[in-house]
Amino acid sequence: MDIRLIVEEVAASYGARDVFAEVSVELCAGETMVVSGQNGSGKSTFLRLLAGLQRADAGQITYLVGNEAFDPRDAGHLIGWVAPDLMLYRDLTARENLRFFAAVRRISLDDQAIDEVLARVGLAGRSDDRLAAYSSGMTQRMRYAYALIHQPPVLLLDEPTVTLDERGAEVVDTVIKAQRRHGIVVIATNDPRELRYGDLVLEFGGT
Amino acid sequence: MAGHSSTEQDPGLTLTTQQPVAQQRIVDLLQAAWAVFVKDLRIELRTRYAINAMVLFAACTAMMVSIGTTFIGLRRTEEALLIQASLLWIALLFAAISGLSRGFVHEEETRTLAALRLAAPALAVYLGKFLLNLALLALLGLITSLLFIVLVRVQVGSPLAFLGMLAAGGLSLATSTTILAAIITRASFKNALFAVLAFPLLVPPLIIAIQGTAATLAEGGWLPALPALQFLIAYSVAMFVASLLLFRFVWEA
Amino acid sequence: MVQQMAQVGKLLIGLWMAGVTIVMFLVIPQYEGLGNAGRIIIMHVPTAWVSVLAFAISAIFSGLYLWKRKPTYDDYAVAAAEGGFLFTALATVTGMIFSQVVWGIYWNWDPRQTSIFVLLLIYAALFALRAAIDDVQRRRQLSAAYSLFAFVTVPFLIFVAPRIADSTLHPNCVFIQGSTCDGISLDVGMIGLLGDRKIQLIGMEREGDLVTAEVIVSEPGLSGETTLRPSFNLATGTMADRPEFPGLRYQLGLEYVDPSINSGLLNIEAPGTGLLDNQITLFTFLASIAGFTALFVWMLNLRADLLGLQWALAQRDGGRV
Repeated sequence: MDIRLIVEEVAASYGARDVFAEVSVELCAGETMVVSGQNGSGKSTFLRLLAGLQRADAGQITYLVGNEAFDPRDAGHLIGWVAPDLMLYRDLTARENLRFFAAVRRISLDDQAIDEVLARVGLAGRSDDRLAAYSSGMTQRMRYAYALIHQPPVLLLDEPTVTLDERGAEVVDTVIKAQRRHGIVVIATNDPRELRYGDLVLEFGGT
Repeated sequence: MAGHSSTEQDPGLTLTTQQPVAQQRIVDLLQAAWAVFVKDLRIELRTRYAINAMVLFAACTAMMVSIGTTFIGLRRTEEALLIQASLLWIALLFAAISGLSRGFVHEEETRTLAALRLAAPALAVYLGKFLLNLALLALLGLITSLLFIVLVRVQVGSPLAFLGMLAAGGLSLATSTTILAAIITRASFKNALFAVLAFPLLVPPLIIAIQGTAATLAEGGWLPALPALQFLIAYSVAMFVASLLLFRFVWEA
Repeated sequence: MVQQMAQVGKLLIGLWMAGVTIVMFLVIPQYEGLGNAGRIIIMHVPTAWVSVLAFAISAIFSGLYLWKRKPTYDDYAVAAAEGGFLFTALATVTGMIFSQVVWGIYWNWDPRQTSIFVLLLIYAALFALRAAIDDVQRRRQLSAAYSLFAFVTVPFLIFVAPRIADSTLHPNCVFIQGSTCDGISLDVGMIGLLGDRKIQLIGMEREGDLVTAEVIVSEPGLSGETTLRPSFNLATGTMADRPEFPGLRYQLGLEYVDPSINSGLLNIEAPGTGLLDNQITLFTFLASIAGFTALFVWMLNLRADLLGLQWALAQRDGGRV
């Protein structure tokens, strides 16, 4: 898919305190950007802005698909977002969760497809357990399943390998490499192993 | 999207393609709303937070009213019917307030709001939660009425009109409070705030619902309750439309 | 220049309101039958008007904020709500005083009392909501949405509720100009409804030119009955004796009697016919409305500027608000 992400002079603040100001960047399909910076420099906030979960105080973020422009708040179908503050329904099983998110996204996802997605993130065999019973590493894998079911052209990964074991990290590596071939990846991290994914690196200063 | 791009190229084509696209969008929206409703119902049946709180509240109220009034042996005067109707709606109101914010507050407490916001259209979320509240209120209305009939010796003179009144009153409750539940999820002191925000908006429909319900307790059929029914339905429609228009702003805040 | 004009405006509003107050107490005639208490409506009606106006202005600025997202609009919405709350409280208190003097009861759940009570609750809810949200943008957006949502109830309160409830303490037809009520024509022996009271015309007697009717008046809810004897002068074609309703300052008038003396037109009358027929009173009343509106607009601007200043200071300091 031909997709572009355009960020123009975006600023964010918390209350009356500025977090960052005038960030401008442009990404095309096949490009990966790494956002790094110390704690509190606004990495997660920046990704939330890209996901449309928060409104920028100034500036403009646009997703261009062909010649159609989307505001991030209307681009849920283009975005897969993985972050520590992404939570799924703990009272439902993994299968019920995915079935629900597929239903509200209006994509058809049969049981076999769900099994495939779960196998891809290494959760095969645990699909009928409630998420309340999942460990933190499994929860992180489940987040990838949630972010991938609608095959989004844009992946926004906030601390992609946090709480994951070696095999989990391999899963993430496969996901990122597959996504880079046809879509956009934005990674917020300070992990030196993940910095190498970046075609470009956005360094947030902090104050 | 296909219909949108064709508008620029061929005006003649829009008539034939845009309508099905618009229809398809509405169908998609309703199906997404249904998915939200089914998901919430499933979680509610597993956890039973809202149902337990609401039914227990209604049962306690009915019990207290029963203990307090059955010894008096009220004659069926107009005043007695008004008192019974008031007590019934007091029980319903407070039981409803204890449970109707559950749908949204649960999302906030389990921190699933972001996942839902990314995946579901705003209106689908609103409609799904609205359906859940309607279902909860239908259940609550039936249980509370039964308790009042059994424990408080309320005699329903016009049962069909009474059910109609209960439904219209419940509809007003659901349309006025569902969006408020979304508003308070991001605030502190959620439950107290929910009552504070809901009460002023519920005064007009509750006054009317009490009067109308009192009318249906007498043997008058539909006719005496008709103005009240009309008011409640008009009120519900206004609140529902306002909710549809405003929900996006609340959801994205 | 602008600042000087604002100074002059402030001074003018002050003088204007002082003038209204002086005229209200010293110049205009008493509301006949109510004594000095009647003067309070010169304050009561304008404050009630401003409280509704403020609510509308707050809703308009809330809508503007959701549309344009300029913090200034939110400042104005808040300022209007705060001013509105103050005026609503004033209208409620002045109304309660008047009600106690005239009808002997502070509070009666009259539809307009219900409406203003709901208005007070909505304002209080709005402030509670604002206090409960930490994030500034979120606070602005959610309170704007609530304020607009609550505004939807206004047409129901204003237009629908008074028409459904049976009793009202605000009989407009009597209040404003002596009586513009339609009254009711009754044959001897018939029962009718006048305002919220059931009346029955028992009989009519003629003595010379004077016709006296015997009317049984029932209290609302049929809790008591009194017999009143209004009379009509056939020679002049005017009402003669107009007895007061029990416990009220309103009177029962016999406005017309048909030649055969079988039926008569009975009506509610205010004690002093036509308070606002008096030119000075009418102008004072209008001046009071204008003055209160100007006062509110001035308060609105002042408070909104102050809120804007606070926000600018907080931004400069980089702290939280």
